[in-house]
Amino acid sequence: MMKSNTSVSQPVLRVRNLKVDFPSSRGRVRILEGVNFSLYPGEILALVGETGCGKSVTAKSILNLLPRSGVHRHGEVFLDGCDLMKLSNAAMRPFRGRRIAMIFQNPQSSINPVFTLGEQIFRLIRMYLSDEIKAVQQRLNISGRAAVGQIAKERFEEVGLTDVERLLKSYAHQISGGMAQRYRIATALLSSPEVLIADEATSALDVTVQSHILKLLRSLCRRKGTSIVFITHDLGIAAQMCDRVAVMYSGRIVETAPTLSIFEAPRHPYTQGLLAAVPRLGSGKRLANIPGMIPDLANPPAGCRFHPRCPQVMACCKEEKPPQQDIDEQHQVACYLYGEHVPCLPTGHSRQPQGAIVE
Amino acid sequence: MSRACRQAIHASLRERLLNKAIIQLNQVKTHFPYRKNWRGQPAEWLRAVDGVNLDIVAGECLGLVGESGCGKSTLGRSILCMAPVVSGSVLFHGKEIQGLNDAKLRPLRPKMQMVFQDPRASLNPKMTVLQILQEALFICPGFDHRRSLERSAELLDTVDLRPEHLFRYPHEFSGGQQQRICIARALATEPEFIVFDEATSALDVSVQAQVINLMADLQQRLNLTYLFISHDLSIMEQVCHRIAVMYAGRIMEVQRAQALFGSPRHPYTKVLRDALPVADPRQRRELATLPGEVPSLVHPPSGCRFHTRCVYATDVCRDAEPRMSVIDTGNWVRCHHHEHLQANDELKAQPLNRSTEIKETP
Repeated sequence: MMKSNTSVSQPVLRVRNLKVDFPSSRGRVRILEGVNFSLYPGEILALVGETGCGKSVTAKSILNLLPRSGVHRHGEVFLDGCDLMKLSNAAMRPFRGRRIAMIFQNPQSSINPVFTLGEQIFRLIRMYLSDEIKAVQQRLNISGRAAVGQIAKERFEEVGLTDVERLLKSYAHQISGGMAQRYRIATALLSSPEVLIADEATSALDVTVQSHILKLLRSLCRRKGTSIVFITHDLGIAAQMCDRVAVMYSGRIVETAPTLSIFEAPRHPYTQGLLAAVPRLGSGKRLANIPGMIPDLANPPAGCRFHPRCPQVMACCKEEKPPQQDIDEQHQVACYLYGEHVPCLPTGHSRQPQGAIVE
Repeated sequence: MSRACRQAIHASLRERLLNKAIIQLNQVKTHFPYRKNWRGQPAEWLRAVDGVNLDIVAGECLGLVGESGCGKSTLGRSILCMAPVVSGSVLFHGKEIQGLNDAKLRPLRPKMQMVFQDPRASLNPKMTVLQILQEALFICPGFDHRRSLERSAELLDTVDLRPEHLFRYPHEFSGGQQQRICIARALATEPEFIVFDEATSALDVSVQAQVINLMADLQQRLNLTYLFISHDLSIMEQVCHRIAVMYAGRIMEVQRAQALFGSPRHPYTKVLRDALPVADPRQRRELATLPGEVPSLVHPPSGCRFHTRCVYATDVCRDAEPRMSVIDTGNWVRCHHHEHLQANDELKAQPLNRSTEIKETP
């Protein structure tokens, strides 16, 4: 599955040092603390992490979908050489939905409830696919309206929706969760976007429906050349369908690596803890857990935000944020345990781990 | 819990099974009125639980797994007499509790408790943790304010929280801590049987592990019996001794946890297992899918409920309701073809030969 050309080709989406501040009653809260990642053409990148680590905020700030009042964004988001952070809302229009599409966790609530599915997809087809409408019109010698219907029908069948006529007349509440998510995928991929952001796209679905949706996303995106940022908290999905995995903790990506190396040789203590906590079939062992809980973002710990829970914490972890270290070309980790970079430290400091690894 | 330990528990379970069932369900049906006729009487029923037989043995953790809308939660609530059971019997320690009025149920209620999915929604935001726990304690005899304070602190200690947490409000806690408060509240009345209705589904992996481990410890220490309702099979294997698989209002299979994953007897169980994304990139595989949609519980399919989506279905499945085929004590499957499916472990997805398919189940 691994794309051999990932390291050589240009990334389609590049996020550099993305920082997001939210206002709160206790002052400004830094939700994202410098997120860096690149997405290569045709790749599926998993963004995994626990609740509140900033996965969804990352996704929304790429498309500038965050509430505008009081939220500060800094950093750079390059799509094809164009910095999306500098664009106004109006200038974002050609990007939103057209070049970067997004699907959300709860499919039924992300569909407008007062219009039928037909009305919504027809409008999108007229917006995005005017050339294709003309082509279909000429090919089949039908009216524009019929051509729109024809395209809608093709796109519905592409995502495995049957009984199209009835569906086009249905409202969001009349269809099941699996069907709604298929419909959302059909609309998201209408304009063959370069990037698809799937924000917990299958978390609300049953396992059997989930496996349908995962297969569908994978095959359609391979065919259309769309890259996916797959935001999930389920490490199983990351292992089964993604090419690379970025692990997020409290507003930062702590480790990025190809799927195989992150599961076989996780480097960051948080990644190690997370993997140990995943229930596995047939292991029969007691689950390991990470002691403590996620930090309060209004009053985050100094230095590495994981240090209060880290079993291998060192003195330097409490003082300064660890920089990204390269384990190899594709494996980056933000931890002082690796690499040579150690900030200026008081004398007598040793780099020996202070704690023991807890089982 | 180690594998050997679990096997030992299972062996003892089997012995106790016949005489020590704490809960016995016999043909339980819980139907809800779905549509009314012109007189205002129900004309159609939604059959959420439709003829369930299940024994829960003292000291075991029984898992109940199934897709959303299959009636898992309704079954859990039926056991606690919180849902309208229309027929069948629910025995608690051999005593019929279905159909009892509120006054007669009240002395039994402390023995049966429930923990819900969303801890935030199941804790009153206007009450402190102490008040929440006291509310449960005051229904037990002999608790004045001072004793309830001591007991509350003790309960928090059982779930690894500190006594100073007693005076805080639920919103001051994280999701995992809130769920532990819910568990403490359930433990307050010293129950024998607890229903966990998707109790860990809303939690993160690392927190989920904390709660699961706590549940397992409490079960051993306090000798509790659990019904663990979840849609997540992988977590089931960690906590449950036996697992019941539910589909469209019926139980399809009950098996020991390990046997269920190793050699599932029912085709639906097999799909559930194979649809699970395994957190190991070396075990990449085609995830199993089911054709079609979940059947309507108002007009359930004839015969075997699963036949509309089953790849092994034949005419028999459509016409006749499969009977319970006992595998061993307490473990059974409801499928016309389970012996055949068991015989060739690696099955090809093709309909069975008509001549071999008619095998009467015992």
